[in-house]
Amino acid sequence: MEEKIKSPMGFILILPALSVLGLLYVFPLIRAIWSSFYDRAGNFTLGNYAKVFELYTRDIVYSVAMTAATVGVVLVISIAIASYLRFRDWKFLDYMYRLPLFIPFLIVGHAMRIFLAPHGTLNALLTRIIGVEELPGISGSWTGLLFSFVWVMTPFATLIILGAFKALEPAYVEAAQNLGASKLRIIFDILIPLSGPSIMVATILTFVRTISSLTIPLMVGPNKPNMITIDMMFRVNYFNDWGVANSLGVISYLIVMVLAIYYLRYMVAERGGIKG
Amino acid sequence: MRRWVVVTVLLTLFVALVVAQEDFPIKVKLRMMVAGDQNMVDFFQYEIAPEFEKLYPNVRVEVVGTGPGPAGSRQIIQQLEIERDSGKDKWDIDVAIVHEIGAVWALQEGLIRQYTDFLSAKRLAVRNTDEIALGVNVDGYVMPMFHSQTAIAYNPRYVKDPPKSYAELVEWVKKNPGKFGYNGIKHGASGISFVNGWVYWKSQYTDKLLNGPYDKKYEEDWPQIFAELKEFNKYVTMTSGNAGTLDMLNRGEIWMGPVWVDMFYTWMREGRMDPNIRIFIPAPGMPGQPMHYVIPLKAKNPDYALKLIEFVSSPKIQARYIVERFNWYPAIGDDYVAPYLKKEVLESLYKDVKQEDLLKYGKPFPLTGYYEDILEAYEKWVEK
Repeated sequence: MEEKIKSPMGFILILPALSVLGLLYVFPLIRAIWSSFYDRAGNFTLGNYAKVFELYTRDIVYSVAMTAATVGVVLVISIAIASYLRFRDWKFLDYMYRLPLFIPFLIVGHAMRIFLAPHGTLNALLTRIIGVEELPGISGSWTGLLFSFVWVMTPFATLIILGAFKALEPAYVEAAQNLGASKLRIIFDILIPLSGPSIMVATILTFVRTISSLTIPLMVGPNKPNMITIDMMFRVNYFNDWGVANSLGVISYLIVMVLAIYYLRYMVAERGGIKG
Repeated sequence: MRRWVVVTVLLTLFVALVVAQEDFPIKVKLRMMVAGDQNMVDFFQYEIAPEFEKLYPNVRVEVVGTGPGPAGSRQIIQQLEIERDSGKDKWDIDVAIVHEIGAVWALQEGLIRQYTDFLSAKRLAVRNTDEIALGVNVDGYVMPMFHSQTAIAYNPRYVKDPPKSYAELVEWVKKNPGKFGYNGIKHGASGISFVNGWVYWKSQYTDKLLNGPYDKKYEEDWPQIFAELKEFNKYVTMTSGNAGTLDMLNRGEIWMGPVWVDMFYTWMREGRMDPNIRIFIPAPGMPGQPMHYVIPLKAKNPDYALKLIEFVSSPKIQARYIVERFNWYPAIGDDYVAPYLKKEVLESLYKDVKQEDLLKYGKPFPLTGYYEDILEAYEKWVEK
């Protein structure tokens, strides 16, 4: 009897949160999927997807590759920073690595564009040091974009991973140290494996934030190929074509979904392991 | 006794206030939505609104900006659609400034009203931009706010003898690979404008592209046209946007590139652009566009909206603000504006690109159908 009274109460309690989620996330999602199957005249069509594959296949591959590369580099750097800060207390680094967190994407895009241009700040400095007159700039190329993405995404990942590293029972690390394990060994054999879920979270958040970013690729990225977001914006702005834009959106949902499913299965396996 | 005095005084005051209320001017809130860069919002908020409010003290002008590019116009159209769908008698927006494409969308959706019959400034408009937008007849529904134009900017330090036409430009680019830069089609409209100009140059149906009718058969020579553009692009630096092209020009990374004239002069005045850089419009021409005033179908204060448009379109205001402060080309004939301009302002605006160049080489954008097809053709045949 008590059970039955409890459950609607619980439902009512989460109802506000649930309805916000439904209104702001589920409803637009369904609408986006829905309208990706309709052309501009309002007829059912698969033409939007045909157009996506005709025009944007390369852009989709590029977006995924770019994002994967970003995630890879971000993980390496953030694990390095987190490991260092796990063992050494260096206040300067501790503050500095967080700095990009507080700078809006738009500002980063603009700053990077000037910083990385052929006659930009970086090259102006380099030419003075090494004395070569003309250096190629990397703004407007995929390397420049990767650089900017990594710069902007690393602090967030580091924050998560460092938190996980610090939350680990120090006894494991101390035991390994007593047995003569090197720091590197501790990082690879203890810290990283035990922080698996957190690293996974960092990976997914970095991936999602990167693939959905518009301003940075728009300002720093190469003219072609383009990230999916730019193509979506282009379709809406210049064609008023929500069908194709939403098809592109659905495809990026699917890409992220693959990762999400993997994550959920991983988490379930992990929980099951702990309990059983 | 004293209480009575107080009550009487209070009552008198109250009655006086109520009576005086009748004479108080009714406050009108004139809401305007502005598509375009921040400079356009500033233009209305800080320059036009105070002047207009001085003229009509009962009016307060409220300006909302919706951002640059067609996206800005799109947002205004969406807002109007919401107003229409709500079924209200009076809509909240009294006047809007939209791109040509926005005016066409609004007209096709039946969101705006005819008003220019009552506008005396309309008679001063000399170009036909107030009648045709992207091949659509918009006569009566719009009044241009100004004209903007794209042109090719070049750095005379490196380019002694600039090409005069697209054909000469192609030759020049082959001799100076990587020194011409533009921004493709997804990173700003100066690149789009350059591509449209390219099609105008190559197509044998340019007249149809500009004046209609829309028919795919006039696109038959496009594969060849875009193949040549792809070849051209091999010798070209791709920039990261309208501002990107200007930046690279200024830093000497490229020597030539398409720019918006108003942006170019504004940067120059603000000291962000090398003052030696100059502009020209290559034959057979590059597109430019006006921004248009529209009055929503059920605007709350259409009379004041009309007064505002009249005010901003008057020769004096056009001279002082549109030309002198913001470096746009006027919406009305130059002859009407010239008397109010200082000589040096007039000369600097028409220093490189003369008035007759504008009339000859200042083209409109093509019909919407062709415009979209050109963009998609570029995606299909040049970018891939």
